[in-house]
Amino acid sequence: MDLAQLTTPQLLLLLTVALPGAAFLGLAIAWLLGWTGSERVISRVTGLTYVATTLSAFTLFARMLGQSEPSVTVPLGPWFEVPTYSFPLTLFVDPLSMPLVLATSVLIGLVGTFAQRYLHREKGFLRFFLLLHLFGFGSVLVFSAGSYDLIICGWELVGITSVMLIAFFQDRRRPVENAIRVFAIYRSADAGLLIGVFLLHHAAGSAMFSELFQGPWPGQALTGLDGASATAIGLLFLFAGAGKAAQVPFSGWLPRAMEGPTPSSAIFYGAISVHAGAYLLLRSEPILRASSVAAWAVIAIGAVTAIVGGLSGRAAADVKTALAQASLAQLGLIFVEIGLGLTWLALLHISGHMVIRTLQFLRAPSVLRDYHRIHAVAEGRIASDELYYEAMLPAGLRAWLYRLASDRGHLDTILDRFFIGPLLALARLLADLERRRVSPFETPRPSARLAPVLGDPNGRAEGGHHG
Amino acid sequence: MSATTADSTAHGGVEPVPSLRDAIDHAAHLLPSQGPLNAFVHHNTLHALEEMPFEDAVVEAYHTRGAQPYMSEAAYRRAIEAHRIRVEDIEAVLAKEPNPSILGDNQLDRGSLRSAILRHRVGDFSVANIGWHLEEGDVRRRLNRDLDDFTKRRLINDAVARAGESKDPEAAAAQEIFAAARLRVASAEPARPVDPVRPRDGILAAFGLDLDEVVHPVLIHLCATFLDQGQAFWPMPGRDQGLLRAARRLLALPGAIYPEALTGLGEEMRRQEREGLTALEVIERVFGIFGIQPEEMESVIGAELLALPGWPGMIRHLEQKPAAAPHERVPFSLDDYLALRLTLMKVGAASVAAKHDVAPVSRIWRVAVSRPNSAEAARQAAAARLAETAQVCGLTASELANLDERSMARLLRELEEFDHLERRRILHLAYERRHERRILSPLAQHRRSIAPAPPPKPVAQVFFCIDDREESIRRHLEEVDPEIETLAVAGFFGVAIDYQGLDDVQGSPLCPVVVTPQHAIHEQPSAAHQKEHRVRQSRRKLWAQLAYGSFLSSRTLVRGWFSAAFLGLLSVFPLAARILAPRPYGKLRRWLNSQFLPAPRTELTMMRDDARGRAIAEGLQVGFTTQEKVDCVESVLGPVGLHERFARLVILLGHGSTSLNNPLEAAYNCGACGGRRGGPNARLFAALANRPNVREGLAARGIKIPADTWFIGGYHDTCSGDIELADLDRVPVSHRPDLERVTRSFREAQAWEAHERVRRFDAAPKGSDPYRSLRHVEERSEHLAEPLPEYGHCTNAVTIVGRRAITRGLFLDRRAFLVSYDAAFDPDDENLAKILSAAVPVCAGIALEYYFSAVDNERYGCGTKLPHNVVGLLGVMNGASSDLRTGLARQMIEIHEPLRGLYVIETTPERFLNAAKRNAEVLRLLENRWVRLATMDRDTGEMQVYRDGVFEPYTHSEDEPLGQAPTSADWFQGKSDHLGLAQITRTVQPMQVGELVGAAG
Repeated sequence: MDLAQLTTPQLLLLLTVALPGAAFLGLAIAWLLGWTGSERVISRVTGLTYVATTLSAFTLFARMLGQSEPSVTVPLGPWFEVPTYSFPLTLFVDPLSMPLVLATSVLIGLVGTFAQRYLHREKGFLRFFLLLHLFGFGSVLVFSAGSYDLIICGWELVGITSVMLIAFFQDRRRPVENAIRVFAIYRSADAGLLIGVFLLHHAAGSAMFSELFQGPWPGQALTGLDGASATAIGLLFLFAGAGKAAQVPFSGWLPRAMEGPTPSSAIFYGAISVHAGAYLLLRSEPILRASSVAAWAVIAIGAVTAIVGGLSGRAAADVKTALAQASLAQLGLIFVEIGLGLTWLALLHISGHMVIRTLQFLRAPSVLRDYHRIHAVAEGRIASDELYYEAMLPAGLRAWLYRLASDRGHLDTILDRFFIGPLLALARLLADLERRRVSPFETPRPSARLAPVLGDPNGRAEGGHHG
Repeated sequence: MSATTADSTAHGGVEPVPSLRDAIDHAAHLLPSQGPLNAFVHHNTLHALEEMPFEDAVVEAYHTRGAQPYMSEAAYRRAIEAHRIRVEDIEAVLAKEPNPSILGDNQLDRGSLRSAILRHRVGDFSVANIGWHLEEGDVRRRLNRDLDDFTKRRLINDAVARAGESKDPEAAAAQEIFAAARLRVASAEPARPVDPVRPRDGILAAFGLDLDEVVHPVLIHLCATFLDQGQAFWPMPGRDQGLLRAARRLLALPGAIYPEALTGLGEEMRRQEREGLTALEVIERVFGIFGIQPEEMESVIGAELLALPGWPGMIRHLEQKPAAAPHERVPFSLDDYLALRLTLMKVGAASVAAKHDVAPVSRIWRVAVSRPNSAEAARQAAAARLAETAQVCGLTASELANLDERSMARLLRELEEFDHLERRRILHLAYERRHERRILSPLAQHRRSIAPAPPPKPVAQVFFCIDDREESIRRHLEEVDPEIETLAVAGFFGVAIDYQGLDDVQGSPLCPVVVTPQHAIHEQPSAAHQKEHRVRQSRRKLWAQLAYGSFLSSRTLVRGWFSAAFLGLLSVFPLAARILAPRPYGKLRRWLNSQFLPAPRTELTMMRDDARGRAIAEGLQVGFTTQEKVDCVESVLGPVGLHERFARLVILLGHGSTSLNNPLEAAYNCGACGGRRGGPNARLFAALANRPNVREGLAARGIKIPADTWFIGGYHDTCSGDIELADLDRVPVSHRPDLERVTRSFREAQAWEAHERVRRFDAAPKGSDPYRSLRHVEERSEHLAEPLPEYGHCTNAVTIVGRRAITRGLFLDRRAFLVSYDAAFDPDDENLAKILSAAVPVCAGIALEYYFSAVDNERYGCGTKLPHNVVGLLGVMNGASSDLRTGLARQMIEIHEPLRGLYVIETTPERFLNAAKRNAEVLRLLENRWVRLATMDRDTGEMQVYRDGVFEPYTHSEDEPLGQAPTSADWFQGKSDHLGLAQITRTVQPMQVGELVGAAG
């Protein structure tokens, strides 16, 4: 057997997915056995893992270039089987996912190398790399899943690692608060993906791409779904994708996610995690094409996000918020492109955006020097006060828009007041009802400490001390 | 809304404006005074408290700001284990304290009580942890682990006598003593609830809503956009009218959605705007609504400011020094900030009142804030403390039980007074005492071994800055070529200038912050190179437009779409190159720069418009008169004692530090140049000293520079180790061989210096090749991911003012600022007075900033660099919304020993006092113990130490021997900790070696 036979495309794909997962498992098991993690070993493992992952991804890519209908499928066997139904798990790459798998392995490798130095002597060094490898596994899994079922697995890993890296500085209060908020939003949006996949199983009898979509991407034919189910599923996927990609109305979480160390901001919110939402929609392109309602909804959400994000980014005075807003605005444009069916453009846009934003996030601390230099060359301000688009608007509208932009479209407040508030009120109402049913004579007494925070209508000032 | 009624009823009855003004101005002193990050001036973090003795000031700050005064007890404990603090140090410190008797018959006095507690590892019992200590800890399980066997036996025997034999006699003894102690602690006061200082405290206690959490995000965002120096594409509208009006107009706009706790904000802003209230009127009104009495005003304002100190600190700094704003001078006003903050607080409080249907606002927050406590836990904690103290003092359970009431009361009071603050104070003094002995004893030994005769004329004299980081390269340079002599003066080299380089838009001051430059110096292309200059500038402009249009503007929507979709993939190349091969990438960039940007030959404007060139530009004189030039040069050469004996080459090196991706880069620059790079000063000084008419003027004042002496200015980068010399094309041909020899020595010294620095870096290559180390430090300065490009002043601890003779050949571990000064040339102590007035505040500022950032990195420092986020081109936040972080980052203080600077002045106490009394600040720092001081007689070497107002002779013993090694590398190779002083034998007696002298020519 020669090397070419050994490195079949199937094996290469399997390697690309499994290597980051193996690195995670190896480090995690060693850690559970009491190993405290020497930086040198962790760095070595990380380096080897991503060199190998990148190599196998590139080889796979080269192999695929030669094929007429370039796609690779690796059946992993069924998850479970009953006589009439089965859940097969397969890995699958095609011209849509291959560039993203490549970009993921290259970028995680680079950011991992960056982080080895950046996090030198930091307490959470091992924790960071554990999460990075798990994230790498999750994101490659998202991009190389052969069915929506498997996408969910990767999707959840990406989500949970993202949340845990926002809370990286776990002894400070603010990062943990923001991480919990992001977690809540992720979970809400994930519901869209879950329900969508249930519906898909129900309506089409499968969530496998190979059974749902016929032909090469893009322009695949959709089988087994009627218009109504396509609309419902499309909208649910949009909900899920919008949450992951920080589109309106979820956009508020992205600046909050900047609490972690700079490299994790770069890899999650500049590069990979936020683009998973766009990938989901791009993958579901036949479904969107089957439902103009869903397609137009994608366009609308994307356009609104692009405008709000673009405006907010222009008004942001700190570099990480500016970059976060820029990211979500470009993602808005990508959503519009997807909705319009400009699939190749969207793919190009995603890949380019991943790379340039990663570089910008990593270079974010340099902004001080960059701006001073540019100011110096331009003999003062390069963008003078008169040279911005908004100056064309009438003064009243301009101030109003600025207000909107500087509060990021009031999106966080809207969520708080009109969704989270009522939801909590409902939950409390139900809790009260239940308590009353259990013991009808006990008067409900909500926790005095939480009552004012949660906006309890009965929470009168007790004006005393709380233990 | 109930706020409206409260508003109208509570208004009136406030103090007249002047006292509010005073209250604000007074409270403003609490704010950090760090300016924008493009320049970084180290200063005493507690500068506002310098009127108090150091030990009182740090405790005061502990109470007002909740910041730690000293290192943690655990850190001192580790120092004891590492013999960094010795028992004799603790005893010596305690011997200087008042020492009343506690138990009768001299059984126990305060000194021996404290000594016993500090020498043994005694638990820290509090209401919060006593439960754990009793259930899980050792309180009832074993005796103090550091007890000697004799005491242990005595305690156990007593317990056996009281309670009989038991299976675990030690546990039984511990229980007996605790039980006895518990009986003697009749009452322990539980902590009483405290009155809220500001409305937020009371509202938090009563309603569970933290108004800071509601108000800060809004306030931070408004401050950031208001202060922004050009980071946002879209500046805040109306900010030229001040923060209050701009914010008010924005918030008053209809159609906004506010958080629930801020409903009514728009309405409030509209009303303020309608009535046209000024900032002070707004503050008065809010105080009226909250019912704050005039005598409370200052404390309320202080507490409000300290709840978020960074942003108002920056506003205050810029209000007082608008010129410090790098690009945008908007009307900075602390009054505006306070008015806005208090308005937001008031709206929040009013909405709480409305929601809970309670009124008036002035009353609802007056709720005592209780602290978790219980009387029993307090008694148990006191008992545990008493029990363990009894053990370490050798008191048995019986003795404890039988102690008379008055002794018992005294003992308990003593224990209460010896709280963690007092314990840490004593430990810190012991820590500093050991440091003092580790410096002064070897210094005295080294002084005795030096030859009295002056060395012959050197090949070259090299001036460095007094900076502690230059100590090592000076030493290595002298080791590499013992015929080179090094000297040090403050790195602005006596020329306080406003300098505008070839590529700068405006001048910036290159001198200590306390000095205001009177002279503007411009770097200009020489006549023959005008064309290169034009090409350079137009290409730079092109580059800037490209960079701005593609990279930075990719954040905008439309241009961003283009650059992301079509150019984005290209950025994988710089991304990969920067991360995987930083040094080659840096070289490539420099090579490209040199290919595309011609570097014209330049000169400094003072050379052209000479004596009569007094054009007034922005109030600055362009260039110096001959008289001024002579003064400048004399101010450097005079004090160091370089009046004759000039070498053929005199080189001056200013310094700075280059690192990538580092918002705090300026903090590594030259402190004597106001946190900037000192290269231009050195270059200017050399140009001045080379002028014949200046030399004539100097000769008239007794400084005789021979005709064959040539001055060269240059720049030393303390991060990459690079040395660049300026105007080399002007060096006479006759001096080329000398220059060649010196540059060769520089190269070698750079490598050894890098090698010495690298021993501190965990990630650096270990080995003995100095050139490998040099490559490593070069990479650090070029690496995008490097949060620790160099250690800065991290190891500073000492300042030595004196001749090089007393430090030459002495390994000082980069821990000493060295100021060249020769008392023999200073009959009336005038020079010393000048040196002190600059060196004491500057070096003390550095030492104290490092001290505070190290003892409490979260409060005084800015925490770890990793989540930092540059905002407004002014400072850094954590994440997307936090206070502006001030002070030094954790990476900068990692290996720092927090110490007050120890000054060693080579003169007599009388002459020192004669010089010091001319500067009030120096005296204040000295008398309030913000610095430590010793003198060393120039002629006899006798040392005296200043303690509490008097000089006392230093009793030198052999407890800290002076190490010896042939070279520095032999001393430090393979070690990474702080090292003791050592004599480098190769440099000490250099002049017996004849082989090098011949080559000098």
